[in-house]
Amino acid sequence: MSEPAATVRRVMRRWGQAATPDTGDAGVDGARADARADARADAGAGAGGRVAARRTQAEQRESRVAAGLSELERWLADQIGQGIAQARQTGPADWDDLARRLVDAQAPGVAGSVTRLPRVLGAEDWPGLLLGEYALLRLLAVAHRRAAALPEPLRQTVRARVGFPVTRESVLAAAAVRDHWDVVGCRDEEQDRLVARRVWLAGRTTGRLAMVLSFAPAGQPLDAFPPPGTTIDADLAFYPGASPLRALVAGRRGLVDAGPPPGTKVSQVPALIAEVLAADPWTDSWPLVLDGAVPCLDGLADDEGNALPLHPSAGVPWRLLAVSGGRPVTVAAEWTPRGLVPLTVWNEDGRAVPL
Amino acid sequence: MTKAVSGGREAGRVSWEELVSTALVGADRRAVPPESLLERAAEQVVRMRAGRRPGRGRPPAPAAAETMPLVPGAAADRLARMLAGEQSRLLTEWLETAAARRVRVPAEMIPGLLDLGARDRSIRACLGAVTGARGRWLAGLNPAWAYLLAEPAHVPPDEVWELGTSGDRRAFLAALRHRDPAAARELLERGWSAETPEDRSVFVPILADGLGMADEPFLESVLDDRRREVRQAAADLLTRLPRSRLALRMTARARRLVTGNGSRLRAEPPQECDGAMERDGVRARPPAGMETRGWWLQQVVAHTPLSFWPDHLGMPPHEIAAARIGDWQREVRMGWTRAAILQRDAAWARALFEAEPLTDLLAVLPPEERSRRAAELVAGHPVDGQMVMMLGGVPRPWGHRLARAVLKKIVETTRTQPWNAGELIRLAGERFDPAMHEHAGEVPELAATLRFRSEMLKELE
Repeated sequence: MSEPAATVRRVMRRWGQAATPDTGDAGVDGARADARADARADAGAGAGGRVAARRTQAEQRESRVAAGLSELERWLADQIGQGIAQARQTGPADWDDLARRLVDAQAPGVAGSVTRLPRVLGAEDWPGLLLGEYALLRLLAVAHRRAAALPEPLRQTVRARVGFPVTRESVLAAAAVRDHWDVVGCRDEEQDRLVARRVWLAGRTTGRLAMVLSFAPAGQPLDAFPPPGTTIDADLAFYPGASPLRALVAGRRGLVDAGPPPGTKVSQVPALIAEVLAADPWTDSWPLVLDGAVPCLDGLADDEGNALPLHPSAGVPWRLLAVSGGRPVTVAAEWTPRGLVPLTVWNEDGRAVPL
Repeated sequence: MTKAVSGGREAGRVSWEELVSTALVGADRRAVPPESLLERAAEQVVRMRAGRRPGRGRPPAPAAAETMPLVPGAAADRLARMLAGEQSRLLTEWLETAAARRVRVPAEMIPGLLDLGARDRSIRACLGAVTGARGRWLAGLNPAWAYLLAEPAHVPPDEVWELGTSGDRRAFLAALRHRDPAAARELLERGWSAETPEDRSVFVPILADGLGMADEPFLESVLDDRRREVRQAAADLLTRLPRSRLALRMTARARRLVTGNGSRLRAEPPQECDGAMERDGVRARPPAGMETRGWWLQQVVAHTPLSFWPDHLGMPPHEIAAARIGDWQREVRMGWTRAAILQRDAAWARALFEAEPLTDLLAVLPPEERSRRAAELVAGHPVDGQMVMMLGGVPRPWGHRLARAVLKKIVETTRTQPWNAGELIRLAGERFDPAMHEHAGEVPELAATLRFRSEMLKELE
């Protein structure tokens, strides 16, 4: 590598940490790394040797990642062997160290997941949450080791979560999905002077869900995107995977006047999430559009009293409650393993209110 | 699902709790291979996430329907910007104007406003009006916002006196008092003994509207109330009735305490604060830093009808206000000042203001005169904390004369001591008639604030 390792490490670490406080998404870490890897490849090789150089780089990367993940497997087994009772004291420093080694091993996706581990320590049931995270990390390392035996879409998911780059061109080269997409949520998160914007979309006719991700240095404008409550006629190109969600806007044809989006019932959510997790067990963020949901102080209920809990860190959703006034509303929320994070609610006049 | 997770191997019947407990103490100690523990944990965690069944929800009872129209969209957008920090000093005026126009704010803005009201009492009355039925519904769900239920909302329903919240009943009583003073007093008297001390202390001041000797027997009886705030409120009203028994008792006390001797006055504070004085609203314990007997003297003077003094001392008010009083001059003057404010006596306020320009007195003067007197003060003083404080006591909107004087002062000060003009510019921005923005071109910050207010008020029309 032509650049000093320390610089790469610093930059990659920053990308690894710049993910959201509430949800993790290994795909995001990969995305941050993509642009960086492209830039490095372009800068590092002369015009003639570029293709060959890339091939060598790719081979090097494969073996680095494999070595890094097998070290991760050993590290996890050691932790569980010795016991995790001291994790609150020793965890953060250990994880910092581990994340750094994973960045060096060019697995920024896994490094990002490790960087987010301290979040579980605030919860009362942190031992169970931590065991769950360790178990899923090991599952990812094992899946990568056995990648050749996996079906292609799942192999793509594993590689994306590990942090292998997927180029924009390859995503755009696949067939795009045209639909009237409702913009159902938007969230900007800033960390270390980098802002990540996620825009969640729901397709009217295909019923598909999508998430468009963009980055900008803090203080600089992000890609303009129609706000929640609008509907766009657009072609979306999905990143490959077993449960594709992340997408690029391949073509935007215009705005559509369509009113509030159709939604699913609260009682249908568990089956829907089970399906998503069956395809991609590492999923920790999935958009939902619910209709006929009555916001409560700590959850979203339907008229039969079934309720989905909210994420504990989201607090009482006062704005959502205020808009609902105790009546059923259409509401978009982000599913996470620990509960829902409300994104947008449509009021009685059909106007979208971001939460 | 299981295929993707672990290749479908049977994990055995180990509970999640057992896995966590083994992981905590260490798999080695329990002779479990760590890899297999992690494998089982992965399978279970995905199964738990995927198989999480909905719990039982406790949806709140639906909110009542709204009776007021929603504020226009442009006004709501401006409010959102103000809540985000733009020109936030003008928020009170926005709320007051919206409350007077009887419009309500969009539901999603209510939580932010109620949080503000939890910290700032001064806006609570307006919030009671502009947050509508949804605001009260939310206040019932969040103890931090419960204060809202003590504020009157618009349009109290018919049974409000028996069943309404404290705020609704206050609004109802005030409206009835305005229409029919005797009926309001009788209604209050009938259920008096069953009212809470808090309600009693907010109901008494409502009788100020249309106050007359017919209220005297009731107010006199309220002087025996157990709660000091209630007694105090009744005493404050009774001093406005020169023929009330309280006024006569105070006059008898004052007659002994302050005496005239030609152009010189003499004051002698009471030796003690007896039970009768306390019943009449004199507080025995002085505020920190005040001499005890002087405090009693001040209160007696403050609760004596001002009409008593000219005859007693043989001088008109303006001479009395300017007279020298020896040892207790400060206490006696403070008493008269307080009396002028309580009894809303413009002649005395004028006389006292000339002796010492206290802002509180300006409030008693007619608006035109208030504006003129404040303008004179501004013209003759440098900008300092005292001037800003004096002007802070003059409510919005400032009359033309005062505004012109302040604008002139700002322009002068900006030229010579720009660091000193900031607070005055901000105050002027809040208090000027917004139409003045056309004349404020020399002070861009002021002009911008006034334009903002001008647009803000237009949107709320």
